Amino acid sequence: MTVSLPQFLQAHRDEMLAEWLAEWSSSSAVGLAATSSTAQTRHVMQTLFDEILSQLMVAPQDPPPGLDEHAPLCKHLRHLAAEQARHPEVATDPMRMMFSLRHLLLRHVSTWIREAGTTPVAEHLVQVNRYFDQIALFVFNNIINLRDRHISEQSLSLMELSTPVLRLWHRILLLPLVGIIDTGRARQVTDHLLEAIARHEARVTVIDLTGVPIIDTSVAQHIMKTIDAARLLGSRVVLTGISPEGAQTLTKLGIRFGDVICRATLRAGIAEALLIIGKRITAMEDQAR
Amino acid sequence: MTEPRPPARFAIGNSSDIVTARQAARALSAHLGFGKAHQTRLATAVSELTRNVIQYAGEGSCLIEDLSDDQERVIRISIEDHGPGIPNLPLAMEDGFSTSGGLGAGLPGARRLVDDFHVSSAPGLTRVVIAIRKPA
Ligand SMILES: Nc1ncnc2c1ncn2[C@@H]1O[C@H](COP(=O)(O)OP(=O)(O)OP(=O)(O)O)[C@@H](O)[C@H]1O
Ligand SMILES: [Mg+2]
Repeated sequence: MTVSLPQFLQAHRDEMLAEWLAEWSSSSAVGLAATSSTAQTRHVMQTLFDEILSQLMVAPQDPPPGLDEHAPLCKHLRHLAAEQARHPEVATDPMRMMFSLRHLLLRHVSTWIREAGTTPVAEHLVQVNRYFDQIALFVFNNIINLRDRHISEQSLSLMELSTPVLRLWHRILLLPLVGIIDTGRARQVTDHLLEAIARHEARVTVIDLTGVPIIDTSVAQHIMKTIDAARLLGSRVVLTGISPEGAQTLTKLGIRFGDVICRATLRAGIAEALLIIGKRITAMEDQAR
Repeated sequence: MTEPRPPARFAIGNSSDIVTARQAARALSAHLGFGKAHQTRLATAVSELTRNVIQYAGEGSCLIEDLSDDQERVIRISIEDHGPGIPNLPLAMEDGFSTSGGLGAGLPGARRLVDDFHVSSAPGLTRVVIAIRKPA
């Protein structure tokens, strides 16, 4: 008596699932098995298993139908990918999980082929493989997309972080520039600064360049534009933190920052800014007298 | 005298390559005992020339060589691209000349920042070779 493949798979469903789960939990002491609860992983694996099995029960098609993005299978695969994105140290786990299932299914389908002995042998094996190719691609794409999103979020927040405009005193702002000033960041810095100048009606802005490693012509041009814009809003600019070798280099390049007030150190720049608004820092005993 | 470092070639294709190249130039000059001012000047020149590569040719390369001998510490840096070339070289070497709305200070400024400066340009090959030197 010969059984059909669907009948065979149905009959061995519990056995195969148990085998897969056992193999997985023994192979991964760390990773998904360790990070998410066992019950949850079991649930995900069981659903995936049944989804995949049901696909293999329909007659082989050529070419195989694509994965349905909205089917529960894809939902669970996305969940796997998301889980992975949160635990980059187990990057290969979702793939490993799928490959171990493919292996297992191929083994059982081969057994069935041997027992039934009639059908075109290759067809079913090819179908399993193709199906898993699609699954692997889907998971892989999802992981890549999640990573990409993660990376661009990080660089965005880094940009935000590195361009604070600080209120130093009433009507005095401090813009400490740190790192590499490219066109994108320069624009962002200028936007932030102009907004802060308007909001605080700042009369002086101290731009500190201590954290800028190289002031070349493009950085200089960006700074000049920022200075011009600040002036248009009525804020004077004090430039600080240009190192002696930076100053020498700027001179060789032939760059001059117009008639901006420059001070070597941030401390001197702040003193200058206070002077402009008619304030000064003095020792306490001066006041007591 | 310490063994000269092997030459290092950097592909120049985006702005992070500029940073990599100029940091390598700075590191080598520090290693060979050039002062802070020399280091900054060299790094800035590399920054200018590699940015020109990206801006006007899209991509190119930067070769950093240690040519020191018993008498002299020498760093030579060759920056080249296979872009359209600089149509009027004497004009491009003038302060303030820019076809891109820049300050036009990159080429003439870089020449003043280093000890040796050679530029040759034709459609398909633009090469700028700079060097800094000091007695050993
Ligand atoms: N590698 C190159 N390939 C083609 N043209 C170039 C190249 N380098 C420079 N040029 C041309 O020479 C001009 C002058 O270059 P230079 O670096 O001095 O100024 P810039 O790049 O325009 O402005 P910046 O002051 O920001 O550097 C450029 O505007 C460009 O037309
Ligand atoms: Mg330039």
